[in-house]
Amino acid sequence: MYVGAIFFPLLGATISGFLGRWIGDRAAQWSTVVCMALAAACGILAFIETVMGNGATTVRIATWMNVGGLEVAWALRYDTIAAVMVMMVTFVSTLIHLYSVGYMSHDATIPRFFAYLSLFTFMMLMLVTADNLAQLFFGWEGVGLASYLLIGYWYEKESANAAAMKAFIVNRVGDLFFMLGIALTFHVFGSIEFDVIFAAVPQHLDTAFLGVPALELVAVLLFLGACGKSAQIGLHTWLPDAMEGPTPVSALIHAATMVTAGVFLVCRMSPIFEYAPTALAIVTFVGATTAFFAATIGCVQNDIKRVIAYSTCSQLGYMFFAAGVGAYQVAMFHLFTHAFFKALLFLGAGSVIHAMSDEQDIRRMGGIWRKIPVTYGVMWVGSLALAGIPFFAGYYSKDAILEAAFAAHSAVGMYAFVCGMAAAVLTAFYSWRLLILTFHGAPRADHHTMEHVHESPAVMLLPLLVLAAGAIGAGWLFYPSFIGAGEHAFWAGSIHNAEHNHVLHDMHEVPAWVPIAPAVAGAVGILTAYVMYMFAPAVPAMLATRLRGLYLFLLNKWYFDELYDRILVRPTLATARVFWKTGDARIIDGMPNGAAALVAEASRGAVRLQTGRVANYAFTMIIGLVIFVSLFLTGLAR
Amino acid sequence: MNWTLALPEIALACAGLVILLVGVIPGRNTFFGCTMAVIGALLLAAVLVLGQPEGTALGGLYVADAFSGFMKILALLGAALGLVLALDFNRRESLDRFEFPVLALFATTGMMVMVSANDLMAVYMGLELLSLPLYVIAAFDRDNGRSAEAGLKYFVLGALASGLLLYGVSLVYGFAGTTNFDRLADVFSGNGGVPAGVVVGLVFVVAGLIFKVSAVPFHMWTPDVYEGAPTPVTAFFAAAPKVAAVALLARVLLGPFGDLAAQWQQVIILASLGSMLLGAFAAVGQRNIKRLMAYSSIGHVGYALMGLAVVSDEGLRGLAIYMLIYMLMNIGTFAILVGMRRRGRAVERIEDLAGLGGTDLGRALWMTVFMFSMAGIPPLAGFFGKLYVFLAAVQGGFWTLAVVGVLTSVVSAYYYLRIVKVMFFDEAPAEGGLDATTPGLAAVTATTGIFNLVFCLYPAPLLLAAGLAAAALLG
Amino acid sequence: MAVGLSHYLAVSAILLVLGLVGIFLNRKNVIVILMSVELILLAVNLNLVAFSAHLNDLAGQVFAMFVLTVAAAEASIGLAIIVIYFRNRGSIEVEDISTLRG
Repeated sequence: MYVGAIFFPLLGATISGFLGRWIGDRAAQWSTVVCMALAAACGILAFIETVMGNGATTVRIATWMNVGGLEVAWALRYDTIAAVMVMMVTFVSTLIHLYSVGYMSHDATIPRFFAYLSLFTFMMLMLVTADNLAQLFFGWEGVGLASYLLIGYWYEKESANAAAMKAFIVNRVGDLFFMLGIALTFHVFGSIEFDVIFAAVPQHLDTAFLGVPALELVAVLLFLGACGKSAQIGLHTWLPDAMEGPTPVSALIHAATMVTAGVFLVCRMSPIFEYAPTALAIVTFVGATTAFFAATIGCVQNDIKRVIAYSTCSQLGYMFFAAGVGAYQVAMFHLFTHAFFKALLFLGAGSVIHAMSDEQDIRRMGGIWRKIPVTYGVMWVGSLALAGIPFFAGYYSKDAILEAAFAAHSAVGMYAFVCGMAAAVLTAFYSWRLLILTFHGAPRADHHTMEHVHESPAVMLLPLLVLAAGAIGAGWLFYPSFIGAGEHAFWAGSIHNAEHNHVLHDMHEVPAWVPIAPAVAGAVGILTAYVMYMFAPAVPAMLATRLRGLYLFLLNKWYFDELYDRILVRPTLATARVFWKTGDARIIDGMPNGAAALVAEASRGAVRLQTGRVANYAFTMIIGLVIFVSLFLTGLAR
Repeated sequence: MNWTLALPEIALACAGLVILLVGVIPGRNTFFGCTMAVIGALLLAAVLVLGQPEGTALGGLYVADAFSGFMKILALLGAALGLVLALDFNRRESLDRFEFPVLALFATTGMMVMVSANDLMAVYMGLELLSLPLYVIAAFDRDNGRSAEAGLKYFVLGALASGLLLYGVSLVYGFAGTTNFDRLADVFSGNGGVPAGVVVGLVFVVAGLIFKVSAVPFHMWTPDVYEGAPTPVTAFFAAAPKVAAVALLARVLLGPFGDLAAQWQQVIILASLGSMLLGAFAAVGQRNIKRLMAYSSIGHVGYALMGLAVVSDEGLRGLAIYMLIYMLMNIGTFAILVGMRRRGRAVERIEDLAGLGGTDLGRALWMTVFMFSMAGIPPLAGFFGKLYVFLAAVQGGFWTLAVVGVLTSVVSAYYYLRIVKVMFFDEAPAEGGLDATTPGLAAVTATTGIFNLVFCLYPAPLLLAAGLAAAALLG
Repeated sequence: MAVGLSHYLAVSAILLVLGLVGIFLNRKNVIVILMSVELILLAVNLNLVAFSAHLNDLAGQVFAMFVLTVAAAEASIGLAIIVIYFRNRGSIEVEDISTLRG
């Protein structure tokens, strides 16, 4: 069961990927779906077993490598945090596989798609169940690879290739820090196994590396790695572009699972982060800034998927600053509920795109809510959950995050609280802007498209409905165990809170207005959106002209891409050109060419000895013998 | 008499005699049946080796330990795979005579005797039992002048080498008073000086053994024989006998002469350096792919000897792992080379591979895997083989070896990658692509290829086995 | 003058050198190489028997028996290969055995 949850997806990927050509599209896709369903069943059972039954277990599969002092095993570590992730990943992934059956039905290379999707799931599961940093890194790179393959899935599109490359390269930047973090961990602790590291943390509180407390440095490096994967400000630029991939991919990888790996990493390494206050402050600051910054951009984007992508970015910011103030449980809770409603929103968007004949620009939609009522309904549910309207899933987790930030009683905590509140307003605003522009008003699509608007097939609607149920119910169902009274028993030590960390307790004792504030913020945002887009459609245009500078600033995503282009890409290209013209063409090419000539010369010399004559060969042997004897005798003389 | 310890060799020899008798049934071609029977016998012997207890037998002539077990399994596996490669080729080239598998079987018996030898007499008998059949199968294509020339060259130089070895043995016997490994070790472990006669004898013995592993300066036969012999024979030469010879060299040097390490170390270092350099440089200009593989194998032996030269546990473990990986890389590569035919005729120039990526992508990809593995590009198995010997060299402080090793692997990567380039970027010749391969060859290719690919995922059990083997030899 | 061990060893060393030189100075005939190899083995046998007598140890003589046997097999195989070679090339001149090279 423990093993099954992880390896069924691999099985599915293998079948679909290697045998897909022979067994046909249908067999390939359904075999992956069945494997995923089995994995999900195992995942849920494993969760129940871990949380209510035996407690944490580690399934050791094999020793991976044993080099010097470094021993690394393939093992599946099932504690609560991993079990939650396994259950969530397998469950959401199953639904998305199912959805893809409908969504990708017109695609030419279906087995390839499903193989990638299952491979991704397997890698993600390796990541979350890793019991050492090396295996975690294996999964980390594996999901990066799968993400690259899936973003560039439609490889004949140039933009898809560019986006895939961008995602890969930006992630490499984060990975570099992650690898440095692993190396430093090994240097400090002499091991990269979680059990050993966590047990040894107290002994290393005062260890310094290059004059900096080692734990702080490890935590910061790991967090920078997490930033790449989780698209935090600075390294976020790849995520919106990643929307070039098929929509189910966006839902699975770029909303529900892979991008949350960074948050998972921070929570997993909580025993280290707890003793790295500076690193935590950085996490809080970066998270809060991202939450606000991405929300502002989300307000003016016109591509339906990009809006949701920035929303994801923003919600990841929430998770990070929750972890940053020490409320890892709350971060995990938001991660969990977010997976449901964000996957729901993406799949709903996919359903809209499907209905609108692959149109993605919300300015060319509108007036379709009667034609696709189910999609419309689930989008509402998703948006309500995202905006944190009471009793939907997002309400519980987002509320808790803001309370925790408030209860942290620190400067960065307060900063995070303010950013979070502002982002909450903006979140509600852009969600309803999206809803209204997409579904209401006069149809802005051409006549031809409007005629073809149709509800998606049942195989796509079923996952939507299940996810909608999750977006409604996951909050209150899991609130007590994740962060409520049963929190301590539930996590069973898989997340570490130091003695000085009372945030989980304090967050229940904040002033009465704090819990209400997010809901109010949401309501304000919704109302604004209604006013601006439903009742007075002239206002947005007027604002855009009046505040042209701000509008362009937001529309161009705070000029991050341009900034990078100016300060990183162009100088790099310029230097590269210099190196190419002078360094490469003259010196480097000169050296290999010279070396190649040398090698060729040496080769001719060596071959010339090979005359083909037996007598010469025998002579060489005798000469060799003589040399050997003299060597020996000098060796003897020594 | 605990002769049952030598059961694998005895069973193999008896099986050889029986198959020889069955093979002469007149009126029908027994090539296929005999080959299958021989492969069966080899696998049976492998099973017997696995169940073999440790100890010495036959009056101290024979020893069985973890090292001999590891190397014998390798040799048996290499021989069996080599015979699979020969099945189809020999039939098409009308070399399908039953003597071929039987000779290979006797050669394999010789390898096993070599690996288990615990006395210079056993060394000699095993070596000759290996060499005599090999002389014959090198010249097996008896209507082909090149094959006959290969056989003749191999015979002349091989006879010279075994003559040198024997002369060395006689000197060691005379000056140390015994040929038994254990007693030799006792003689040398004393503090008294070693007679010069023994040292000269040891040089002669080492020379004879280095000839068999084809390291510089006793490598001259290798390219000519590899090129001239029929391709499956070349494959056989490059795999099993090399493993056995390296094992024997390690056993002789570390067993009875272990205490003289300071003296023979220089020689092995020199041979290793020379082999690495020659293997890298001489292969660059080659056009015949079998000749290229010959130089490549000389280079690989250089890397393996590096593990022996450092005289340490890690080094010996690296050597064992290297031989395992080397053998499987080579068999896989030759499985593709044996299948190189155009319009029914065997071809063996590098240009003949041109355009393979377009005509037969699967085969080209496997070949790429083998070439990358040979070049030592991670994460393929070949990389780990090199990694372990380099690590051992660095740990032992043999910087020259490690640096030259890295440099020569860069040079050798050039010619391996050139093959990949030819396959994918050169135009296929006008007369069309290569003929389709056969299921047997494809199976061998895929098995060894998958080994090369997945070794990095789970090397632990093989490392463990190699570690045990190394520990058994170094005590 | 009594004939001692050193005399035997000297003779055998001379035989060895004759054999070696015979192999690589010989330009004419492969059969001569075969004879040179036999010379080397003869040197070895002489060595072994001399040592065996000197050490009062039978192992050397047993070894010599083995060497004789194997030498016979080796010679027969060598002659067989030379026959094959001659059939293909019509010559056994050492100088001609050089089509494989490079």
